[in-house]
Amino acid sequence: MSDDRDHPELRSRSYPIREDMAYQLKVWRFERVGWYVLVLVVVLALVGLFSRGLISSREVRSDDGKIRVEYEMFHRNGSTNSMKVSVNATPDTAVELELAGQLLEGFSIETLQPEPLRSRSSTQGIRLWLQTDLDGQATLYITLRGDGLGFYRSQIFSPGTNGIKLVQFIFP
Amino acid sequence: MDSVLRAGAMYVALLVLFKIAGRRSLAELTTFDFILLLMIGEATQQALLGDDFSLTNSVIVIVTLVAIDVGLSLLKRRSRWMSRLIDGEPTIIVENGKLLHERRRRARLLEADVMEAARSSQGIEKLEEIKFAILERNGKISVIAQED
Repeated sequence: MSDDRDHPELRSRSYPIREDMAYQLKVWRFERVGWYVLVLVVVLALVGLFSRGLISSREVRSDDGKIRVEYEMFHRNGSTNSMKVSVNATPDTAVELELAGQLLEGFSIETLQPEPLRSRSSTQGIRLWLQTDLDGQATLYITLRGDGLGFYRSQIFSPGTNGIKLVQFIFP
Repeated sequence: MDSVLRAGAMYVALLVLFKIAGRRSLAELTTFDFILLLMIGEATQQALLGDDFSLTNSVIVIVTLVAIDVGLSLLKRRSRWMSRLIDGEPTIIVENGKLLHERRRRARLLEADVMEAARSSQGIEKLEEIKFAILERNGKISVIAQED
């Protein structure tokens, strides 16, 4: 820093304009550091910090392996992302699935496919009944639109199985 | 409420971004700079309005932007510190026919930029004919010729 000021070219002139080179050097330093920050933001966006990318797309399984959820950890307010919930249960029956916690506060469900056999509100969220296929698999595709801001913690579980806890973050 | 916050946040974000970009970035508008400006405007539009395309919302956003702008200009008039922070200060780039390389490098200028300004404003052919070249606050280079 003091080296910069000692440089004869970087000393303040007073004619034809009065300069403050110490300040100007700070401005140039800010521009330089700012450029690194911009590059960092681009890199973070590429790896998915602001939704849709390596660190945002997650896949979790419940401890007993019966529920599997693919979801985005980071969302952006107003944008939509998909979530895929797979349940393993007795073949050709109706399996119950509960979406609970803050999921419905932070997000609105735009689409829910296939349509559940039945659905009902519960104290914690909504409860859905899905038809399993002959292998005992049922899959639910949900499109979520981020409406809120900040962290939202939710659980997805089926009675008699260990549920999954999700933490999602919505950017402004 | 969120319209005002959106407009305010966008104003601050763009102000900081263009401070980082430096004063030269949009001073001499090349064809590509113009396109870049259009694209930035397009990307900003969505964030400013959200999904509310009502007349009221757009008026609120515009009123907020203009209010911040006028407010800042009043602040700049009152405080030299503020004015310096937002608009910056002019910097001498050529002094008595000598290019100050260290300054030119840090201001991300080329000698060609200085000579271009000298030719277009003063009809100057050589660096030695320039008495002073000053990088102004708006990013333009003003040139004062040597007196013979």
